[in-house]
Amino acid sequence: MSEVKQERKSKNLSKRVILNILGNDKWQYLTIPIFLILLSFVVASIIILLLGKNPLLAFFNLLQGAGIMPKPSYGGYKSILTDFLTLLNFMTPMIFASLAVAIGLKGGLFNIGVSGQMLLGGYFATVLIGYSNLGSLVAKPLVLVIGLVGGASLGGLIGFLKYRFNINEVVSSIMFNYIIQYVLSFFIHTRYIDPVSRQSRYINPAARLTLVNVERFGLRMDLPIGFIIAIVLAIGLKFFLDRSRIGFEIKAVGANPKAAKYAGIKVGKTLITTMALSGSLAGLAGASYYLGYFASIQPRVLPSMGFDAIAVALLGNNNPYGIIASSFIISIIEKGSTYMSSIAGVRQEIASVITGLILLFSATNVYIQHKIRASKDRLQEDLGRELEE
Amino acid sequence: MDTLIIDGLSFALPLFIMSIGGIYSERSGITNLAIEGLQGFGAFFGALSVVLVSHFFHIPIQKLFYLALLLSMVGGMLFSLLHGLLSIRFKANQVISGVVINILAMAITVFLTTQINNIVFGAMSDKFQIGTSQRFTIGILSQIPLLGPAFKNIYPFELVILAIAILAYYIFYKTRFGLRLRACGDNPHSVDAAGVEVSKLQFRAVMVSGALSGLGGISFAYSISTNFSPAIYMGYGYLAIAALIFGNWEILPTFGACLLFGFARAGGYYMGQVLKLPSTFSDLIMTLPYVLTLLLLVFFSKTNRVPRALGEIYDKGKR
Repeated sequence: MSEVKQERKSKNLSKRVILNILGNDKWQYLTIPIFLILLSFVVASIIILLLGKNPLLAFFNLLQGAGIMPKPSYGGYKSILTDFLTLLNFMTPMIFASLAVAIGLKGGLFNIGVSGQMLLGGYFATVLIGYSNLGSLVAKPLVLVIGLVGGASLGGLIGFLKYRFNINEVVSSIMFNYIIQYVLSFFIHTRYIDPVSRQSRYINPAARLTLVNVERFGLRMDLPIGFIIAIVLAIGLKFFLDRSRIGFEIKAVGANPKAAKYAGIKVGKTLITTMALSGSLAGLAGASYYLGYFASIQPRVLPSMGFDAIAVALLGNNNPYGIIASSFIISIIEKGSTYMSSIAGVRQEIASVITGLILLFSATNVYIQHKIRASKDRLQEDLGRELEE
Repeated sequence: MDTLIIDGLSFALPLFIMSIGGIYSERSGITNLAIEGLQGFGAFFGALSVVLVSHFFHIPIQKLFYLALLLSMVGGMLFSLLHGLLSIRFKANQVISGVVINILAMAITVFLTTQINNIVFGAMSDKFQIGTSQRFTIGILSQIPLLGPAFKNIYPFELVILAIAILAYYIFYKTRFGLRLRACGDNPHSVDAAGVEVSKLQFRAVMVSGALSGLGGISFAYSISTNFSPAIYMGYGYLAIAALIFGNWEILPTFGACLLFGFARAGGYYMGQVLKLPSTFSDLIMTLPYVLTLLLLVFFSKTNRVPRALGEIYDKGKR
């Protein structure tokens, strides 16, 4: 009898440790994603081990490549700081794009068209402002505005199609993704192509949202202006969703459209607003991607960032603060992978596999929460029974 | 004119078989956006297997055509277990699960293709060459005016697809399994009350969808490019979903939709050749099926009858 008890106790102990870490309601929003990321890295380590490489070394190279850890040597004008600024430069559109996905999900809409909206916003900003001779002070704000309007109009259209014609937003956004990709490729190829790079011509530096090669402290740095805007916007969005009437309506429609309708919320209008907002954020992502991180557009290619943003949003639990953290992590993986592949000899494509794994595990988030709650209850019951005995 | 029908059919039929898989899954109540990833993974699995078999057993790769078809179905089915696991067992949001699987499929297949090419063949390539498929003509039938070209230059996979499609139609509408499956999508509680386990049935439906998607994927690999490469993720899986929505989740109307897409695409290329447009215009022609899809959805989505319990997580305790 006592043996059984003993066994139960030791089993409970390990369970209790896990539950105490993951089950704490106050910290769950942090502990579960971290647990999921660790899980993804464990699986990735197994893959890397199978290839006969050292996973820990590979992950360390990942951090070095992203400017988190110092590399053994740097080229001229480069240091860990310049690497880190490049990371922030890459992370800027990622934050915008993930916020776009998140606000859609809050409103019950799955915006898988972020890529297309990025491309459209970026294209308009490039063609209208990037190739103009406007001065820096006029051009930079205009790039943002035009990117925003370009993305918002497409997002709004997708929302309108859903509201008016009952077209699933996932299907229509995917169709738009392809249409935009090919149509814009046609225009870039016929009008704006640079025959050498096979991309669109470089934009006028005055319009670029990243200050390139700024010399300071003996270094050449890329300063992403958009990064500050992205952070401010994330904080503003959090406030908007939590405190404003429209934010509340968006969440209400996302939670239960029927109940929202009974409460007197105009569901159709909210649908369109949500998609337009999501699209405008995607447009900003496009502006900071094509006119910040890059300075030209590669025709016929959708930015994969629009899809990675789904992973980032899920990982960040659709919370703007969470998204800042998760875009930081995913950016490290994507950005550090080039250095990792050159040093550790692990193929660069492993980066998207890791992102995919994180995405996969993130999808089980709700289930894990549910499971933990259930086993917590069971543990309580066990404890109660033990006390009785 | 002949090429229009030949190319149209060879595009429409793989699309159709993927749509049938989608119908199985969605009529059982499981939203399946994963078709794109499933067809890619299926094609990858099939292509990988035949490349390896032909390499190690020195069999000419052309002879392994039917093995490739079969193993693609197996591969698609294996990967669809993941969608079933996430959306049925783990009760994840089905739309998200589908998209997750698409992204993961792309990442894994691209990674593995380059890696395996490197290790086994010592080549830097992201493609598996699977050889061209034979094509044949049915002599007498191809002489029929107007309809004749439909029997000319047929890929063998087209016949396989037709046979499986007929079987799938029979199972879906005429058997007890099909009846229960269709009931699942509208009222899973009634199926449960009849003593059938809903989640098991849905799992089977998703697996069927995976297998059929894999078949569609390898067919595209044979007909469009004669290799497996990341270019397989052209969005045809999504096109298949659009086709089944347009076909109102019924098999025969969906066939019509697929034919329309096939001929629109072939017609676009045909037009480009006839008008002697420069190659830059191929970008615009590529958009034809997608534009057509959107237009059709605008006109037909309103009258659609979506399976009532589609996308809902089945909860036994709920009434």
